[in-house]
Formats: sequence, C-alpha cells, structure tokens
Amino acid sequence: MSQDIAGAAVAGQVAMVFDLNKCMGCQTCSIACKVLWTREEGEEHQWWMTVNTQPGQGTPKDWEDMGGGRKDGSPVTGHQPTRAEFGGGWEFNYDEVFYGGKGRSVHLKPTDKGDGTTRWGMNWDEDQGAGEYPNAYYFYLPRLCNHCTHPVCASACPTGAMYKRPQDGAVLRDEDLCQGSRFCMEACPYKKIYFNEARNVAQHCIMCFPRLEEGVAPACARQCPGRLTFVGMLSDPEGPIHKLVNEWEVALPLHPEYGTTPNVFYVPPLAPYRLNEDMSIDYETPRIPPEYLESLFGPKVHSALATMQGELDRVRAGGTSEILDTLIVYNWLDLFGPFTTDPGTLDRTPDKVAVSLTAKRTEPAGG
Amino acid sequence: MQVPEIVDDALDPADKAWAAVPSEKVPLVPVPIEEQPNEYIRTAWRTRPYGQTGEVDVAAVQRGERLLVRLEWDDSDEPNTEFLDGAGVFFPDAGDSGAPLTIGSHSAPVRLWAWRDRTPMQEALPAARELVASGPGAFRPAGLDAGDGENEGARPDAVSALSGGRWAVVIAGDLAPAAAAGRMGVVVWDGSNDERAGIGAVSPNWVPLTVK
Repeated sequence: MSQDIAGAAVAGQVAMVFDLNKCMGCQTCSIACKVLWTREEGEEHQWWMTVNTQPGQGTPKDWEDMGGGRKDGSPVTGHQPTRAEFGGGWEFNYDEVFYGGKGRSVHLKPTDKGDGTTRWGMNWDEDQGAGEYPNAYYFYLPRLCNHCTHPVCASACPTGAMYKRPQDGAVLRDEDLCQGSRFCMEACPYKKIYFNEARNVAQHCIMCFPRLEEGVAPACARQCPGRLTFVGMLSDPEGPIHKLVNEWEVALPLHPEYGTTPNVFYVPPLAPYRLNEDMSIDYETPRIPPEYLESLFGPKVHSALATMQGELDRVRAGGTSEILDTLIVYNWLDLFGPFTTDPGTLDRTPDKVAVSLTAKRTEPAGG
Repeated sequence: MQVPEIVDDALDPADKAWAAVPSEKVPLVPVPIEEQPNEYIRTAWRTRPYGQTGEVDVAAVQRGERLLVRLEWDDSDEPNTEFLDGAGVFFPDAGDSGAPLTIGSHSAPVRLWAWRDRTPMQEALPAARELVASGPGAFRPAGLDAGDGENEGARPDAVSALSGGRWAVVIAGDLAPAAAAGRMGVVVWDGSNDERAGIGAVSPNWVPLTVK
C-alpha cells in the first residue's frame, strides 16, 4: 500500500500507455467515450477523452496556461476552464435542413448561441501543427484524466467528493457529496474536469470503472483501431505497461513538472526525417524539435527517443526488439492486461448496470 | 430574535405578512481563511477579498411545524456566469457552544439550509437543500449517512427575488430542530466574486431565536 498526498492508500494503480507513433487522430476513442458516458443534459460540452493535434492550443483552449498542479509539494492556483473555453456544446440546424423544407438552400452548420460555441471545440486546431513545408510536423495527443498518484483535484475538494479509489487508484467522484464548488477544476493542471450545470456537479473520466470491475477494458482503449492504447496495472511486472514505463522507460507522463504524478503515459513520437532544400534526407536533425517534446514530456524524452531509435535501427539491421514487438501489438488482447473480457458476453440487465454505476465513496471522506 | 406565528404561508419574500415582522440587522464577516478546509483553497483565497457582504436583514416566523427565515441584503454586482449568489441559515445541535464562524466543525456539525440562485438549466434542482456542515465548505447532504439520499421530508424550500440591487430570500424548513437549537447562524455567498463552499460571509455570533 502506498499513501498519496490526498490521503488515499491504494492497493494497486491502474494505468494507461498511448503509443503516439501509432495514433492517427481518428477520434474513435473520443466518440466511444462520448457515446458511453456524456450524452445527458449538462454534458454537451464534455469530452472526457479528446485527441488534440500537437503543437496546438488543445482543449480547453490554451489549457497549458491555466495553472493548477503542485510545485515543491504545494498546490498551484489555477483557472477554472469555462464552457466556452471547452468549445461549448455544439448544436446544428438539423430541423431547418432536414425538416424545414430548406434542404436545398440551407447548409448544415453549427448554431452559435453566443456562449463560445462555434468559436472553439475539442479538436478545433486539428492537423494544424507547426513548421514549414516540406518539414511541417504534427502528432496526435490523446488526453483524459491522468488518475494521478497525487490527485490535486481530490486535495482541493472541500467535501471529499473527489477521491482515489483504494483498490485500483482510479480517481472517482461521489456525486452525492459533490456540491459543485469546482475547486477541482481549478486545481487540475490537465483541465480534464468538467462542470455539469444541469446537475451542479463536476464530472470527469472514471476510467470506465464499471467495465474494469467486470474485467472489461475502458471503451477508449477497446475501441481504438490503431492498437496503441494499453491498459493494465502499473505494478504488474509481466504487463506491457510496467515494462514500457519502468523497465524500458520509453513511456513518459505528460507534463511531469505539474507535480501530480500522472498514471497515463505516452511513447513519444519519432517523426519522419527532415528534408534538405534539395529534397535529400537530413538524417541528423529531428523533424519535431526535441525541445518541444521536452516541454511536453520532460527531460527523459531524449533518452526515450534514443532508446526507440536504437530499437528501430537494430530491427532495420535484421535484429529483433522486444520493445517494438510490444508496441506493434501482434495480439490485440495483449493491450488490455487483466481487462480482456468481451463486454458482449456480460449480463447487462438494468439492475446490474445500476449497481455497477455507483461511485459512492465507501471510506470516510475526512482529511 | 422573536419568531412570531403566522397563519398563512409567507414563502414569497414579497408577501405582505413580512411587513409586520420585525427584522434585525446581522453583521457578517469573512469566514476565516485559516479555517478553510484545505491548502488549495487557503492558497487561492489568502490574498483575494471575499465575504464582503457586510450585513443582512433577518426576520423569522413560524407557521405550524415550519420555520421561515427571510434574508435581505445588498448585491448590486454584475452577475457572474460561473457562480451564482447564495445564502443559508444554520442551526447547531442543542448543547453545542461553538461559534458560528466556521459553519460547524467535525466535532460539532450544524444543520445548514442552503439556498442558491439557479440558471435556467438548473430549474429541476431544488431551490434549497439541507446539508450537514462540519466546517467551511465541508458540506454533506442531510440523510446521506442513512443511505437513502437526501431526506425528502426534511428538505427545506426557498423563494428568492432580486430587485433594485437587493436580494430577498425566504428559506423554510422544519421548526423542531431550529427551535431546539434556539439560535441561528447566517451565511451569504457572493457569486459575482466566485464565492462558494467556505468562501463567503458569515455571522460571527449566533442569532438567538425565541420560538413559542
């Protein structure tokens, strides 16, 4: 058992690894999550899972400038992202186009309600990237709650609604206890907590815990067509996550300087080679500036990239690589650690679903 | 404060019955920063002014088994799109001798009837809730420990009106615990200043209640 700053002891830590070399920005993970969890009133702007193009302003807009997290162990005050900064909840003129008799004169378009809608969105700057032709670059960054080891959201919550679940370290919220004060949204440096105005509660990724409890991987991971999303227990020595994070050190947390010890990790991207002015290949200069990757993943990104490049070179020379074999994922179910159950085989009667959906905090909320 | 009996309901703060009920000006002070429940909130608000609602006019009546408390205070600030104005009254358990400044404590929680203004999207939410408060912002819905959610029978009600830069709110709840407490605390949250939870203005002293 380990003790985190928020006062929660956890028996194990569920974690995820995203291989950014394989993410194609298809947003299937985003849609899988949206369809499963955030379809009610008050959840229109909520995308617990998003894929942003990097470099970019992301979602909420300019989230990296909004503060939060910890520095030298102390909380850093932050901005509470607004519904407009998330991009609002987009609505379209379906009635007008499909049922209003104007199908030939009016085009389908989002409706601007004056609240920021249509001026930002969860993938607003998609594929924009940076750099100049022929050396432009970008990559995709899937983002969700990091289920941090030291969740500053839980530390900032005055009611104890936000907590770290003892059995697997998932950061959950007891919505019976949440009073909608939203200090968690300010404190979270990753800005992945949303406010449900209709219910006056904060909401965020719950690591699909009802699925985990039945041995099913989270929807974002299971629906990912690129085989890039690993799920498992961080401490499982035989699991790919432990190997990628702790043994080979090629998977890194996003913004480790935020001080919350995330449990979502990323294999940084190795971009194609740069081209010289005569269109010959520049083998020496990385296309994605290393300092930019360091700004995202910290100084360890350089050794991670060097390890990855070394593995690639060895395989290209005819050798083998356990790291690359792991990241290729020959067997789809190898992605999911102990969570390989097919959800289609489960009993989904309403009562059982209702029971499994509770995130009620069972241990005292004090402290 | 005398709590006269009335016959007809007066949940509407504009009800003419209130004109005959004497009110009392109750001074308010910021909930102490050092009493805030965690380091994040203390850090975020240590240098930021809050709890500046200086006083509130308080009147109370009893009607049958219900206590109705009318609060009125100045609030001419532009509304905030993120946080809404709110107010509450709270009652200690009989025998508790702590001050109301912290809105209860772990050893001596108080019963809080909390009203919040609502957005159009929040119309389905109750106008007021009964909470068990064990410190600034350390609020828990009443009845939760029994495992049956909020106690519907004990749920307070409220009607509010903002006019001419003044809020008038009537909060009503069960008379018995309030009468047993014999005193009441008051808290006001200025939404335009992002006030919520333990960030607000509170009465530093109990308001005595004389219930027949």
